[in-house]
Amino acid sequence: MKGFTHFISGIAVASFFPQAVHMASQEQSFILCLGGIFGIMPDTLDFKFAKYFHKSDFEIRPDPNNLDARVIAETVANAIRKAEKEGRGTVQLHTMQLGSNLWRSYTLAFDSATSEVVVDIGPEVDTGQVPFEGTELKDPEKAHARVKVESQFFQQFDKKSQIAIMTGPCFEFVKRDEGKIEIVFLPWHRTWSHSFTLGMLIALLVGIFTFFTVPEGPNPELYSIPRWLLYPLIILFGSMVHIIEDSTGFMGNNLFYPFTKDRTNGLGLMSAAEAIPNFLFVWTSIICILYNLDRFRWAPGDTPPGIENPATYFFWFYAIPVAVMAYFFFKGKKAKEAKEPKEKGRPADFDAATSVERETDASVI
Amino acid sequence: MAILEALLNPAYLDLFYFTALGVLFSCLISFLPALHIYNVIGIFLLVILKFEATMAPMQLIALCIGMIVGYSILNTVPATYFGPGDESMSYYILPSAAWVAKGRGFESILLTGVGAVGGIIMLAVLAPAFLWFMPGLKTITSPHMFWILGAVISYMVLSEWPKGISQSESCWENFLEGWKFLGVGIATFLLSGLLGFIVMAKTLVPIEFAFQSITPVFVGLFAIPWLITNIINIGQIPKQHDPESIELDWGLVCRGTFGGFLGGFFAAYVPIVTAGVGGLMAGHATAQRDGRLFVMSYGTCKTVYYVGSFLLFFIPGLSLTRGGLAWIVTPVVSVLTLKEYALFVALMLFAAGMAYMMLAPFTRMCIWIVEKIAYFWVSVIALIIVIPAVFVFTSWGGLAIMTVSTGIGLLPVMFQARRMNLMGVLLLPVCINMAGYGNDVMRFLGLI
Repeated sequence: MKGFTHFISGIAVASFFPQAVHMASQEQSFILCLGGIFGIMPDTLDFKFAKYFHKSDFEIRPDPNNLDARVIAETVANAIRKAEKEGRGTVQLHTMQLGSNLWRSYTLAFDSATSEVVVDIGPEVDTGQVPFEGTELKDPEKAHARVKVESQFFQQFDKKSQIAIMTGPCFEFVKRDEGKIEIVFLPWHRTWSHSFTLGMLIALLVGIFTFFTVPEGPNPELYSIPRWLLYPLIILFGSMVHIIEDSTGFMGNNLFYPFTKDRTNGLGLMSAAEAIPNFLFVWTSIICILYNLDRFRWAPGDTPPGIENPATYFFWFYAIPVAVMAYFFFKGKKAKEAKEPKEKGRPADFDAATSVERETDASVI
Repeated sequence: MAILEALLNPAYLDLFYFTALGVLFSCLISFLPALHIYNVIGIFLLVILKFEATMAPMQLIALCIGMIVGYSILNTVPATYFGPGDESMSYYILPSAAWVAKGRGFESILLTGVGAVGGIIMLAVLAPAFLWFMPGLKTITSPHMFWILGAVISYMVLSEWPKGISQSESCWENFLEGWKFLGVGIATFLLSGLLGFIVMAKTLVPIEFAFQSITPVFVGLFAIPWLITNIINIGQIPKQHDPESIELDWGLVCRGTFGGFLGGFFAAYVPIVTAGVGGLMAGHATAQRDGRLFVMSYGTCKTVYYVGSFLLFFIPGLSLTRGGLAWIVTPVVSVLTLKEYALFVALMLFAAGMAYMMLAPFTRMCIWIVEKIAYFWVSVIALIIVIPAVFVFTSWGGLAIMTVSTGIGLLPVMFQARRMNLMGVLLLPVCINMAGYGNDVMRFLGLI
């Protein structure tokens, strides 16, 4: 899901605490923002910290002056061979910057039907990934390579990875049951940072701190939760909602790190980059926030409500927009299915549209 | 019948005349290089022309409607070719510059125009609904505006991702390279916020030009760094293609308009939030990725932000003053009824139609200018006009503020950080003040 989706979902979760809404309206507290900050925190930890400290077994820095697809494919294959022997192998692919707005592109794919690593050197592109005509390699031997490996491998999606601009992707190869190699995209992403364990640990530490530092606020008899407990709970639920939302996608999370070693697959209901699912979560959050701000307003007997009839509110502002979104979502899905070839057992079509994007862009994943 | 009679009432024809005049004025205003619309309108209406003394209130409002609608649609053209005047334009300009560099500037402007007209149509269609739900929305959100701004700031800062492309074997070297961009972004936000506190507490601008006190800040933060960049970096722009048609379908129009409307409405409703910030959030909320979608959506966002914030002022009984133009006309407006609101919507549609028809010839004229005169000289001339203009209206004090602002405004340009962070100049002090901590901060800074 998009960072914004997680952010606003975190605020929505925080707004379910009446005391937090009262603190915001009566004591000018920014406590509701805490939900948003911890809603986006798991991705912040990954893309601003974890990414830099992940060490790969193999690093590919192609030489733009001596391009050879086979060298790249062989290095990737070596990482797979390492996984065959030792259980795990990782490879980091780097981009080739030729100028301030000029890059040499290449693609990497895994053909699971033939157990081959497939590399193609592409044209030069600008930072908007627009290719420059006539910059393709002339020598087909250097431009294209397929390298076979011993083991069979599998991944959730047969999709080419385009390595062109900014930072290139990282892959981990993990030996699974029956000797098959699983291909894991961005192995440093959605691991410890996207676990219930970390959420609970941070909440525990914050809880200890607030227990000793946050005094009871005015009118404690109105609330069932003491004020010091509010902070860790908002942090915990803010980060939990991020993990739950990510679980609806394909990549999944490592829910109980360090007790579990690997990411579990997501439910595959939607892709992180899809517009309608993202907006559904955003809109649901907005509707919840407005409803909660209104129903938990201070002194409801003395101040008129903004939402006079909740049923009308939910009908016009939630049921109808969700129905419209559902209509367009399923219409789009049908259209996509109609375009896909029907026959089974076909060779992998790396250029086909899939329901997931291989993105290294933090704002998408 | 009553509606028809009201519409055909010749007494209202003068309003259409003044709206048309406003649209024509907006061409001229949008040509003034790198100046913010509200300041320019303020100068025109109050200082130079003293219009409020000679015009009926509704005539003045009609003129303003023409100016703001025309500006929101036509300003894209000179901003694309000569440089942005404010943050709302800066957000669009970087992607738009890529189109210009490919000779497709005309196409990007037409897409923006389609988005802008889509936004105006959505505003008109939803105008009756605003009467129904805006009072409720205001009741709910009024006590919470400060933390909503706080959330906007948090998201702006947290959603900037590292851009470093270091491929060193040292993790720390890569980490520091990535964080260099983030660090500059955060520093830019904090420095501009500090500048905002200083300018709001102790401005150097003479008291008679107090309403222009923010002009040198915006010129320094956004306009001059852009012009300097142009002078240093850019040679002649490539020949611009004049397309016979643009590639567009209804799906794209609907998605672009919808996403842009959300961002524009959010920016229009929440004080201090601009179209750039609203557009960023709406773009992320609707997961926009297509380049054409972005450009069109931006057209909607910018227009809905400028025009919508003025429209909100006219909702009877709501008293929602958002945007500089609403503040400018406040002294001349006594009572607002449904009649004025309906007239606003009609004049807005008229102005949008007129401005859209002027878009293509206006673009051709700008292209003709940049093809005849080297881009370098266009930027130099713009710089030569801007600096004396700031001096005329804000004196030496304004120039001093502009110089400091330029230093801060150059930071994101040099380090490729988000220019949006410069909005800290308004977001940070206003958010802190709304939360009631403004005096504490100013006391801490020694400003009071």
